[in-house]
Amino acid sequence: MTSVPLVSVFSADDSSKVTAKHIPLPAVFQTPIRPDIVSFVHTNIAKNRRQAHAVNPQAGMQHSAESWGTGRAVARIPRVSGSGTHRSGQAAFGNQCRKGRMSLPIKVWRRWHRRVNIKQKRHAAATAVAATGIVPLVLARGHRISQVPQIPLVVEDKIESYEKTTDALNFLKRFGAFEDVQKVVSTKVVRAGISKQRGKKYRVRKGPLVVYFNENAKLLKAFRNVPGVEVVNVTRLNLLQLAPGGQLGRFVIWTQSAFAHLDKLFGTYRYTSIIKDGYQLLRPLITNPDLARIINSNQVQEKVQPAKTTKVLHEVQKKNPLKNTKAMDRLNPYAKKQRAAAVAAIKANTKGTKKIKKNKALKKASRAAYNKVAASLNDATKAAVQEEQDIKVKYFSVQKGAAQTE
Amino acid sequence: MSQKKQQMQVEQKVPENVAKKTVRDTKLREAVAKRRTERLAANKTRRAQWEKNAQAYEAEYKAADKSLVDNLRKAKTEGGFYVPAEAKLILVVRIRGINTLNPQVRQTLRLLKLRQLHNAAFVRVNKATIEMIRKVEPYVTYGYPSRAVIKNLIYKRGYAKVNGQRIPITNNNVIEQQLGKVGIHSIEDLIHEIVTVGPHFKEANRFLWAFKLRGPRGGFIAKRKSFINQGDWGNREDLINDLVKRMI
Repeated sequence: MTSVPLVSVFSADDSSKVTAKHIPLPAVFQTPIRPDIVSFVHTNIAKNRRQAHAVNPQAGMQHSAESWGTGRAVARIPRVSGSGTHRSGQAAFGNQCRKGRMSLPIKVWRRWHRRVNIKQKRHAAATAVAATGIVPLVLARGHRISQVPQIPLVVEDKIESYEKTTDALNFLKRFGAFEDVQKVVSTKVVRAGISKQRGKKYRVRKGPLVVYFNENAKLLKAFRNVPGVEVVNVTRLNLLQLAPGGQLGRFVIWTQSAFAHLDKLFGTYRYTSIIKDGYQLLRPLITNPDLARIINSNQVQEKVQPAKTTKVLHEVQKKNPLKNTKAMDRLNPYAKKQRAAAVAAIKANTKGTKKIKKNKALKKASRAAYNKVAASLNDATKAAVQEEQDIKVKYFSVQKGAAQTE
Repeated sequence: MSQKKQQMQVEQKVPENVAKKTVRDTKLREAVAKRRTERLAANKTRRAQWEKNAQAYEAEYKAADKSLVDNLRKAKTEGGFYVPAEAKLILVVRIRGINTLNPQVRQTLRLLKLRQLHNAAFVRVNKATIEMIRKVEPYVTYGYPSRAVIKNLIYKRGYAKVNGQRIPITNNNVIEQQLGKVGIHSIEDLIHEIVTVGPHFKEANRFLWAFKLRGPRGGFIAKRKSFINQGDWGNREDLINDLVKRMI
């Protein structure tokens, strides 16, 4: 590492004033972002706040139901004993039965909590802290930080002595964090589902997380009533707050002393942590994130093999060379000459024969002859038709005459 | 650092990556262009060779036909007989489907590349293959293909076996790659090898996938009977050509 990223500490009263110009970023903010570790640790840690619950062990079993056995044209499920009520003879006990007990009833001795290796928990916390310093991650998580002067936002310790909520609100407004609070307020919705009847009426978003250091700080009470804002001591950073829902990039407001304490808390890349005994921050897999530069470097390009070209063995569509001249010529360049030779041969064979010329006079004469024949035929048919008619008339007139005479 | 700055200023601030990449790309492009010109020149000579070979084969076929006719005429004038050489090549066509086959027959058909109904394959004639064909006789019809039929089969229905895949013979590259080392470079070379049953007939025939023919237009006579008994299976000598013409 040649240069260390620097951070400014802002004055609590005036967001444009900077009390400390260049403070080095604690090493935690340099740890590699490991969403997989955070996701794993979060899913397990989130289970630790659960309270045991169970179904009544006797639920659905408070009958003296017995199966009727076979031979009675009913299913073999246990049936409620007795008589005099609709319930008697109805199926009981089974999970499939109405009013039966559930399958695998929940027991209080269900394993509610999960233990996670300390190192994993620490890595997850470190990653989550690192993610709070990366603007795209914080934006992606949904925080409204466009007016915030700096991420990570470090403020002088004065805010630790705030007692009034108005002070807290004004502070947030000054530093552009109020937009995030407004988001929380405007998106408060009634929860869908039964939980609303069980004390979880509203679904509220997460706003800024304020991290302080001194134990007797009063800011907890000041920020407590601001919707969405959470306050936590830096020694008790909680993954469930740093990465709510397993999603990295909470918007965090650090006080100066809290910020300075992070190096002691998590250690650096030169020294292991003092407080987390022997804990060493995760080292990144690659130290140079500029992949384009690595790929285009001389060292890599010397070793790299030439790009593979797709070998095309054959055309996509097979054309029949016996019909398709192009396909034929591609396969057999002599075919062109063979075709030409064949045509020439035909021509040569027909060389001696006379060509039949179109004789117009001949055509006219033949047409005249044809018309004559056609006309004579026409006359003949006409005559035949006339003859037939005459015969008919004669016949009918004879009949008529016969009728008349009769 | 300052030298680089000067360089960058001179080059109008071209990023290092981009500069390196353009140099590399121009080199690659030149190499490709060079390869192309070389390939085109090589193709030209190849095509000239194919044409020459094809012409030679045409002359050879013509001479063979002429010699046959001359011999027949000569025999006739002398009052003797001319018996042309027995066929060296057989075209076998499978005319029976896949169901209820004797396992030995099944295996032999597979060895002859006849895995499917109406598949056709060239087979060289020797004692071994004659025995094989005798084994499967009721399931195939076979005969001595004419040059025209061989040519048409390979042009229209010619597919190559390349790496276990059935690749159409659309250009001579396929042939060159697989059979170049035995001296067959073009489709006319391949046809000549098959027709004359040359020294590399084995490689040439192995290169060819079985011909997948259609059913004959006009149909078979009676597949249940042998050809001799006014049916279809067995040896029909030269009449195989008529059948295959209807099946191509």
